Amino acid sequence: MTVTPYIAFARIAFLKILAYRLRYYTGIVTYMVNVSVYYFIWKALYRGKESLGEFTFEEMITYVSVGFIIRTFYFNNIDREIANDILLGHIAAKMTRPVNYQWMNIAQAAGESFFRLFMFTVPTALAILVVFPLRAPASLHSALAFLAALVFSFMVFAALNFLVGTCAVYLHSILGLIRAKYFLVEILSGLLIPISFFPETLAEISRWLPFQLISFTPLMIYMGKFQGEQLVTSFLLGLGWTLVLVGLGHWFWRKAATKLTVQGG
Amino acid sequence: MRHLSILGYYFAQYIKVRLAYPGDFLISVFTSLAGTVASFGFLYILFHRVSSLQGWAFEELLFIYGFNLVCLGLFNVLSMNLYEFGERYIMEGRFDQIMLRPLHSLFQVIFEAFRIESFQEFATGLVVVVYVWHKLDLPLTPLDLVLFLLMTICGVTIYLSVFVMLSTLSFWFEDRVGVSPPVFNMIAFGRYPVTIYNVFIQFLLSWIIPFAFASFYPTTYFLQRHEFSSFFALVPVVAATFLVLALILWSRGVRGYQSTGS
Repeated sequence: MTVTPYIAFARIAFLKILAYRLRYYTGIVTYMVNVSVYYFIWKALYRGKESLGEFTFEEMITYVSVGFIIRTFYFNNIDREIANDILLGHIAAKMTRPVNYQWMNIAQAAGESFFRLFMFTVPTALAILVVFPLRAPASLHSALAFLAALVFSFMVFAALNFLVGTCAVYLHSILGLIRAKYFLVEILSGLLIPISFFPETLAEISRWLPFQLISFTPLMIYMGKFQGEQLVTSFLLGLGWTLVLVGLGHWFWRKAATKLTVQGG
Repeated sequence: MRHLSILGYYFAQYIKVRLAYPGDFLISVFTSLAGTVASFGFLYILFHRVSSLQGWAFEELLFIYGFNLVCLGLFNVLSMNLYEFGERYIMEGRFDQIMLRPLHSLFQVIFEAFRIESFQEFATGLVVVVYVWHKLDLPLTPLDLVLFLLMTICGVTIYLSVFVMLSTLSFWFEDRVGVSPPVFNMIAFGRYPVTIYNVFIQFLLSWIIPFAFASFYPTTYFLQRHEFSSFFALVPVVAATFLVLALILWSRGVRGYQSTGS
């Protein structure tokens, strides 16, 4: 597999999104709203309490805020885009290209994420930093490991979206599926509430699922709560799940492609 | 009355379109339902750890969330076209077609498409409300039922009015900015007692973008929180005011509408 065409896909996705940069200004407000809601909920819950579980109030606010900040980076709409490709028939032209369809989508998403990093993640982080008291990463070591863990956030999220998007070959509308995935990921990734807060059974189940890698794992690394051996385990899990999910996507797409019916186009 | 029967036709037509693929439709409803159930996950997990949120019990928060879903579900059924108004109607010029028909333009825009799956949100919300009503042994008189119905109508009206006003902006501005998403996210504020927020957000939610009047304040009466009774009484007033404002803004927009000519 040569890499060059995929870099081109990433570059074009980057340029395309540049044309819609205005949307990101309101996006910053949206994320501020999200963080604010949870800030006030946690504030009310921590009233008169030093800490809940292993988190102090400042740590919890940092957890939630950084969680939403990194979401501006790893988020993508691969599932919607595939569904659109199929619905509008663009898929036919795209499949004639001598590239891997899954990697093409991931490359485009990477181009978008690279764009978001500068135009969305940084301004959102600054805006949140002005309003809410955030803690810095636990150490330089944690900070670097956190950045590395974001690669797996992105890959797991992208691979999951590709799997959901591929369902559009079989279904006419995957909007319901996308909705279910949205809420499931919001909870099981630990975005809204750390997985260590979950009831025992749910926490155990979550540890066997890939969603934690999207949010919980990088955040725990950021806060220095995952170190040493646990850090190594996290990276191995990230690598393992990325391979499994991308492999699954590869297999599913090949199977689905034989069933593909293009309506007009 | 004529509008009502036309609404019936619009709805039947849309149902036919969606039911052309019944299997898909069922999966869509089922997966949407799964999403709604998962959205309760936060409250569920939170209250596994704590027993109350500033004096509000789990069931009470469930009630607020449930009532919120009842209104939001109905609103989501109706609001499908509002989000795409700028793109579909103004930029693509479909609004010309609307203007030619002898029917109120807003009526047509809202009722041309429905997000039928969102009835599951309404249903889930109702189930949750009934559950809490039973669990907390809240009083239930015929008057309460009438008030619940009235509050639901007010809630839906407030959401519709706010988002109609936002859509109206497309008459003047090419909506590439997308002001709806941040406002839509603010609905989440209304799912919790306003007293947990600071003064600024309380004011915003009550008087600027009155989502607290569409979810929190209406529930306080049923939950016997009488300290909010004056706010509860104001719910219909706020709903009516915002509806009138939305209608005025809409007709101003229509008057200034210039076709793209496409």
